[in-house]
Amino acid sequence: MPQSALDVLDLPPGVRPEPDELIRAAMRWHFGPDTGSPFWLERAGSLPFDPLTDVRTHDDLTLFPDVTAELRDVPARDLIPRGYGSGPDVVGVFESGGTTGAPKRVVLLRDWLERMLHWSNLNLDAHGFPRGADWLGLVPTGPHIVGEYFRRSAATHGRQGFTLDLDPRWVKKLIAAGRRADADAYAEHIVDQAAFVLRTQDIGVLTITPPLLERLARREDLADLVNSRVRAIRWGGTQLDPDSRHLYKTEIFPDTVLCGNYGSTMILGFAGERPDLPEEAGCVFDPYSPYVTFRVVDPATRLPVGYGERGRVLVHHVSKAFFLPNNLERDLATRVEPPAGHAGDAVADIAPVTTFENETVIEGVY
Amino acid sequence: MARPRPDAVRLDALGALGPYRARNRLAVTDVAGREYAELSLVPPLFVDRTLKALRRAAVPGHDERIGMIGRAAGLFATAELNGLTPDEYALGVSRVGGTPISVVRSTMAAIAARLREVQHAVEQARPTGAVHRWDDPLTRAGRAVWVRRGSVFAVHAAGNHPGQHSLWPEALALGYRVAVRPSRREPFTPHRLVTALRAAGFGNDQVALLPTDHGTADALLRGADLGLVYGGEDVVRRYAGDPSVLPQGPGRSKILITGDVDWRAHLDVIVDSVSGHGGTGCVNTTAVFVEGDPGPLCAALAERLAAVPSLPPEDPAAVFPVQPLATAKALQAHLLHRATGTRAWLGGEQVLGEVGDGSAALRAAVHQLDSPEAPQSAVELPFPCVWVAPWTREAGLGPLRDSLVLTALTHDDALVAALVQEPTIGNVYVGDQPTHRMRSGLPHDGYLAEFLMRCKSVIRD
Repeated sequence: MPQSALDVLDLPPGVRPEPDELIRAAMRWHFGPDTGSPFWLERAGSLPFDPLTDVRTHDDLTLFPDVTAELRDVPARDLIPRGYGSGPDVVGVFESGGTTGAPKRVVLLRDWLERMLHWSNLNLDAHGFPRGADWLGLVPTGPHIVGEYFRRSAATHGRQGFTLDLDPRWVKKLIAAGRRADADAYAEHIVDQAAFVLRTQDIGVLTITPPLLERLARREDLADLVNSRVRAIRWGGTQLDPDSRHLYKTEIFPDTVLCGNYGSTMILGFAGERPDLPEEAGCVFDPYSPYVTFRVVDPATRLPVGYGERGRVLVHHVSKAFFLPNNLERDLATRVEPPAGHAGDAVADIAPVTTFENETVIEGVY
Repeated sequence: MARPRPDAVRLDALGALGPYRARNRLAVTDVAGREYAELSLVPPLFVDRTLKALRRAAVPGHDERIGMIGRAAGLFATAELNGLTPDEYALGVSRVGGTPISVVRSTMAAIAARLREVQHAVEQARPTGAVHRWDDPLTRAGRAVWVRRGSVFAVHAAGNHPGQHSLWPEALALGYRVAVRPSRREPFTPHRLVTALRAAGFGNDQVALLPTDHGTADALLRGADLGLVYGGEDVVRRYAGDPSVLPQGPGRSKILITGDVDWRAHLDVIVDSVSGHGGTGCVNTTAVFVEGDPGPLCAALAERLAAVPSLPPEDPAAVFPVQPLATAKALQAHLLHRATGTRAWLGGEQVLGEVGDGSAALRAAVHQLDSPEAPQSAVELPFPCVWVAPWTREAGLGPLRDSLVLTALTHDDALVAALVQEPTIGNVYVGDQPTHRMRSGLPHDGYLAEFLMRCKSVIRD
């Protein structure tokens, strides 16, 4: 392992590596026999190219196959690069949502967590989040990485983090089984718990998913509490449609900072909302480039769509702790130009496909 | 998101603070697939806030409400609203919904007429023992008072026919605040009607139009006290146990012709019942039951309906409804599947009348069934599609059940009495009356006010 590669992977959090240099360093690390993870070293054997010599630039990442599905079965310990030695500082093993079958697993290592937090705390500063506040999180916990990031963000940017249990898999199961009323009851139970904290604690920052924010806003007493105490709301986990976002900013929580995150377990973190955009620009997310990069692509060809056009989000994660190129997320987004000098794309208007009416109903006149 | 056509009709949501142009807009396409209008879709949060505003809103006095609805009638039929003249409005309904334009024009007049008579209509539903106000002198001795069951009424409209929008203004007359979720297939009529009602004096927080995507539709019912939902068998099942929702399901209207009546004298009414109003209504005839051989009636119906030309919906002579070709083909395939084992007098390939611009007229279908119990007689499709079955005294009421309207061509008063008494038949018309006949003051599926109102005793010392 040449010293220079480690240097590039271990730059101080405030210094961004040159994107192509990061790629070359990461190839040496993740495919070096003494430093790479058992998963990638084994997988390298079946690649039709040599990552060490053929992958020179950020664009070359598209040579890799999308191995994301393999993370359902691989032993989690095999994902840790050997270069971390015999006692790697593992924060935890986390899992994807598990919406489509068995969950995929990733390992969160301390150095990446700290790097990500440093970057995301600066993003919160740019949005005007108060430092040192108490936080309340209505976010998935347990195997979901967002719960860990909540705790660590609250502890590093704020003071205390107040949490509650939230199991999104159970909610999805209820909805899939047509048990809407049970799903509603569970969500109301979450909001009830949040109400106790909001009423008694001096919560300055709320981290919450858009569906729960909507429920909270529906209760006028809780909306008043938020308006009187909470100075900033960080949302993420699912998407917030632009009309609801506008309503929050103008009518419901007009004096509260609203800042979105677009995250995914598979990138071991999230992209942050670009600050200081005019209202009509919508919500644009920039990932922590060049470690995490997006490309908005036509899912059939995996080639980028034009700026301003819609496509699926293709994600690369390249850090010392983890390597996962070419992961095609299910979300649709508009491709937006990144900030100057950043690799990849920014994304906006992330949304699932909407349906207006059930097109399959044929019998009857309605 | 599709780029809007520059001259697309802009259909804003009509919320409690006025028209709202959403960032999330749906391209509403005409039957040829061209963008015709741009419909703002609002999220659940918007629905919730609008319904809360409706709940808080003041209720205008009774006489004032009736006056405003009357003024709205005139505006709806004659004024330029949302930039559309009455003719431009009718063209939109016709091109997007595929409804023959003559039907749209006559329905526009019919809606206006129903609005003018709204007070008469709702009064028919008031129990004779009930008074309107708690302070009526009659309540001193004890009296029933007719009161609302709630304050906010939500409507999930359908797109098959504009005429359904003549019904819900009765709720406004009764003092409800009303929110309507339009169908994508026909957002023009409710948008125009809500606009007319507002121009006539109703507040933005008293009547609203809330277009939403499918996933948000529930938010409307959740935030309202009572709801009216149009839909298929699934909707009826879903809300069967919910006393706050009045589902409007399949109509399955029928005609019965007994042996003592010669159908030849009534062919016009039978054809009209099947194909009048484009044949897309729940009150259009789905099945005809004939005591005797149905063959000659099938032949006569087929002859009359085969002669009708396939025309674009905006042609003044258009009779049949028009749909995008793909939709029309799906309906044709479905019909073909369901018609297995029946005798097609008009069917199969004959159902599709391509117009040449990517749309197709759905031409009348006539099928003969071999038994009164054949299941096809319950298959209601959104175009003139009629099943003709033999009927016998032994078969009795069974096959006639589950009908929104039943026209009986008979001289048998005992049979008529049994039909009127049958709980699953909504309305019984005797003699030369098309099943789609409707009149202000007559119940359609019961009176709407039966659902919206209740009686409460008030006794004062």
